Amino acid sequence: MNNTQGCENCPVHHKEHLIRMGIAMDRVDYVIALAGNPNTGKSTVFNNLTGLRQHTGNWPGKTVSRAEGGYSYAEKRYKVVDLPGTYSLLSTSTDEDVARNFILFGRPDVTVIVADATRLERNLNLTLQILEITDRAVLCLNLMDEAKRNHIEIDLRNLSKELGIPVIPAAARQKEGMPELIQAIEEVASGKYVCKPHRAKSKSPKLNHAIATLVKKLEEQFPGIPNLNWVALRLLEGDESIIDAIRTGELGTLSPTTFPTLAS
Amino acid sequence: MVEITYIGWITGPALSLLLGFGVLMVLAGIFWPKYGLIALSRKSNLNKQRVWLEDALKFLFDCEYKKTACNLNSIAGNLHISTDKTARLLNRLRTMGLITMEDEANLQLTDAGRSYALRIIRVHRIWERYLADETGIDQMDWHGEADLQEHQLSPSAANQLAARMGNPVFDPHGDPIPTIEGAMPVHRGQPLSSLEEGTVAQIVHLEDEPYTIYEQLVALGLYPGMQVYVMDKTDGKITFAADGEECILTTLFAASITVETIQSKEKIREKLDLLSSLAIGESAEIAGLSPNMRGQQRRRLMDLGFVPGTAIRAELYSASGDPVGYRILGTTVGIRKQQADLIFIKRIKNEAS
Amino acid sequence: METSNLTNKDNEILSLANNLRWDLGVNFHDTVIESIYEDASRIAQRTVAQEGDPAKHFDLKIDRIVTSRWLGFPIMFLLLALVFWLTVSGANYPSGLLADLFIGKLYPLLKQFAANIGTPAWLSGVLIDGAYLAVAWVVSVMLPPMAIFFPLFTLLEDFGYLPRVAFNMDSLFRKAGAHGKQALTLSMGFGCNAAGVIATRVIDSPRERLIAIITNNFSLCNGRWPTQILIATIFIGGAVPSYLAGIVSAGAVVGIAVLGIGFSLAVSWGLSKSILRGEASAFSLELPPYRPPRIWQTLYTSLIDRTIFVLWRAIVFALPAGILIWVVANVHIHGISIAEHFIDWSNPFAVIFGLNGVILLAYIIAIPANEIVIPTVLMLTVLQTGMSGVGAGAGVMFDTASIQGTEEILRAGGWTLLTGINLMLFSLLHNPCSTTIYTIFKETHSWKWTLVSTFLPIVLGLIVCFFTTQIWLLITS
Repeated sequence: MNNTQGCENCPVHHKEHLIRMGIAMDRVDYVIALAGNPNTGKSTVFNNLTGLRQHTGNWPGKTVSRAEGGYSYAEKRYKVVDLPGTYSLLSTSTDEDVARNFILFGRPDVTVIVADATRLERNLNLTLQILEITDRAVLCLNLMDEAKRNHIEIDLRNLSKELGIPVIPAAARQKEGMPELIQAIEEVASGKYVCKPHRAKSKSPKLNHAIATLVKKLEEQFPGIPNLNWVALRLLEGDESIIDAIRTGELGTLSPTTFPTLAS
Repeated sequence: MVEITYIGWITGPALSLLLGFGVLMVLAGIFWPKYGLIALSRKSNLNKQRVWLEDALKFLFDCEYKKTACNLNSIAGNLHISTDKTARLLNRLRTMGLITMEDEANLQLTDAGRSYALRIIRVHRIWERYLADETGIDQMDWHGEADLQEHQLSPSAANQLAARMGNPVFDPHGDPIPTIEGAMPVHRGQPLSSLEEGTVAQIVHLEDEPYTIYEQLVALGLYPGMQVYVMDKTDGKITFAADGEECILTTLFAASITVETIQSKEKIREKLDLLSSLAIGESAEIAGLSPNMRGQQRRRLMDLGFVPGTAIRAELYSASGDPVGYRILGTTVGIRKQQADLIFIKRIKNEAS
Repeated sequence: METSNLTNKDNEILSLANNLRWDLGVNFHDTVIESIYEDASRIAQRTVAQEGDPAKHFDLKIDRIVTSRWLGFPIMFLLLALVFWLTVSGANYPSGLLADLFIGKLYPLLKQFAANIGTPAWLSGVLIDGAYLAVAWVVSVMLPPMAIFFPLFTLLEDFGYLPRVAFNMDSLFRKAGAHGKQALTLSMGFGCNAAGVIATRVIDSPRERLIAIITNNFSLCNGRWPTQILIATIFIGGAVPSYLAGIVSAGAVVGIAVLGIGFSLAVSWGLSKSILRGEASAFSLELPPYRPPRIWQTLYTSLIDRTIFVLWRAIVFALPAGILIWVVANVHIHGISIAEHFIDWSNPFAVIFGLNGVILLAYIIAIPANEIVIPTVLMLTVLQTGMSGVGAGAGVMFDTASIQGTEEILRAGGWTLLTGINLMLFSLLHNPCSTTIYTIFKETHSWKWTLVSTFLPIVLGLIVCFFTTQIWLLITS
């Protein structure tokens, strides 16, 4: 008795409190970015969350423009931004610029990474790159039903430990795993779950030295920015938007002491 | 009657056809790329004087950068113009305040001259990078195209192009691209011809002038980033292993290759198989991508998992036989033979077991 | 030089970054990606357990069939032919219904209503005979084929078949300096060129994407099929014995479509040798797993995303064009309409190309949609010849109830078999409709490429018509 009563308060049971808001959003509490490889069911997850009907083609690189939608859960309003599906954030293409710049400059409260459970290794490439940029992320391991059919077993607990973020198994087409995802988003957004994201370290001492040198310089100029390693790496890649952000001083606004500009 | 129809036949459709062909020919003559009137007039519109002036500055900068001697004759030779013209040109450069000239053998760039030269070099090298990374234009044509573009493209247009490409710092020959502010790293490396037997080095630059030598080097498959090992050096010839393949060059040719010695005890890379040699059903491990795979192509393939160490299997032919579908990291990816030729693999031994 | 302290420090960072990049050398991007993949692979090894060989699954079995040397192409042609056949034949009936409703029933009611409330003739002419009729025509001719074609195409896409088409067709397009995915944008163009142009987004390389955009117009779109079928039936079917008429005219239409594909490839090749010089570059195409398509969602999204979207754009363009068409046919200068002025003036010029002034004017003013070309041609022919007793009155677009009716009007306008053939060619090779032109501009953000895509087909069309006409005259004289 006590048990069931207790669980009435746990957020999973607040499913009825999930209100899909479509595109009607006037004021939002949290901004959620939806990132992932092409063809992982990212748009399906987006549609499930927002109640919108974005076209979901079985064709890599379908979502070309950025779609936005919203939902409200447990008295908080969430804005979801569906980023273009990309394999990486380190190349130069418009899609990747959009995704990368939104995660860095848009400063979403949570970045949900939708990954294909049947191709985890490939999807981890993007996941690790995103974890370089942001501290607050959730991995939505989609297509778990397909993985099961292909006899793929994933040690979710261990994966979550390795990555340092919540890992939620899901089958978005069957609408499985969505309540858990919403709950995980809430926990990360509100700070109940503190992520300790995996940060990859390069094997090349030359590169590490270069990054360390740049980070030291950057720290003097822009103290308090959480992902200076990434900024340094992008500078070494000649990323024009980062160079611009340094020239204009916009980079300084990324430090947590300044007020977030987008969500308000 | 017969006569009239005959005349009518001539003045009617036949004449129109002739006229039609004529008009087409004239239009083709005007609009044909490269050799048409418009293309030619665009080329000749390039102010010859300015081109010489800029080329001379570039040459002077190159001499200064590589610390080689430079005089009136070498400039004349480089620009393919007479010494008289060169002398007049140098005078003009001096009056413009771009160089100082004590005598014919002692030419110095002024600061203004140096920054002018760097602007031209920047445009040239950015354009070469662009041609290499984003167009399918043949490697042998890069230099010539960039030689035309450097006098036409405005620095701001070049900067935009560079920004879009991620502000590259090297051109495809391995030369550094000057920054907008005109900064250049110090010249590094030494000619391959100066290496001793038994040294291991890495190619950092292939000189793209003169054309005939460059053509040879490209034909040998040499590229910046390649590891070389000098095996033998006797009477004007140098024998070396480049990525496991033996090459022999005369010292003249070897002088066009700039290398940096490396202390690494890494073993010389062995000759590798190509992905295209994999038969359907066979598996292998990716060993690397050829440097001739550039720009977007290279990045896209790496994003798809074509990095050293990844397992790959040839899975199916397309209906026309090319491209071939390869299974990599749980996905089938179609690759053209052209690209599969630029991907190195290591075959996995005792596959049966 | 006075610079603020801030800028100095920033430049310090940027120049430091530059120096470090020079030190790192050319291969450093590779190192970054490799080390990330190394981590990914390590994590995957620790967390993923795989039983059995996943590759020997269902997908590979399908792939072995649809990409096989013998069955690959036949399956593809059959599937695409089925889609087009369903579209063309399935759209006939609903199109007729819509036309009957909008033009047969609603149009007289509107006219009546306007007359009753005392609207001046010119106003009801502009609004009802011009704007309303053009929009009604576009909707009734355009909506049904699109509502059939797009869902069918989207079903193929959702199933995962389309990437296989690109995979199979790549070798052909590679030879033309283009990308295999152009096979898809080309097929999509058979439905609607504007949608085909949008579909080129799946092509990564900007050069190959431009080629696909410029050549998309050579795919005979839905709006042009009815014109082709009508003219082929009248003039080509009419030129052969009646028992052959059906098959010959159908063959002629298919021939025009195939000719379009030929032009598409040839122009791609030409572009890749000239203004868009370069070899076919990156081709890496992921073949996604097959997934059962979800029919209802597909119907819904393809209706919303594609059909309504394209239709709306067409309506927006058809409305002003309807007004323009009415104005040129009804505003008189020196006693005759603007249209007749233009027709008289352009006729000598048009005859060189085996066309006539009516056709030229119709293609100019009916630029918003190929669907209204035939009604405009009929209206202008009646206007020019001064026929009476046909149509809805002078200067009003109309379509005849029967093919014979159309034939009589066209023959009265001086049309011959040669005019028919040239119209079919010109219908294939002329500027894209304004919806497509606008879409090209939106996709390329470039005036230059928009103009090239607009005028290249016209020039080609005029050249082809000219030589067809003159050679024809040479042989038959």
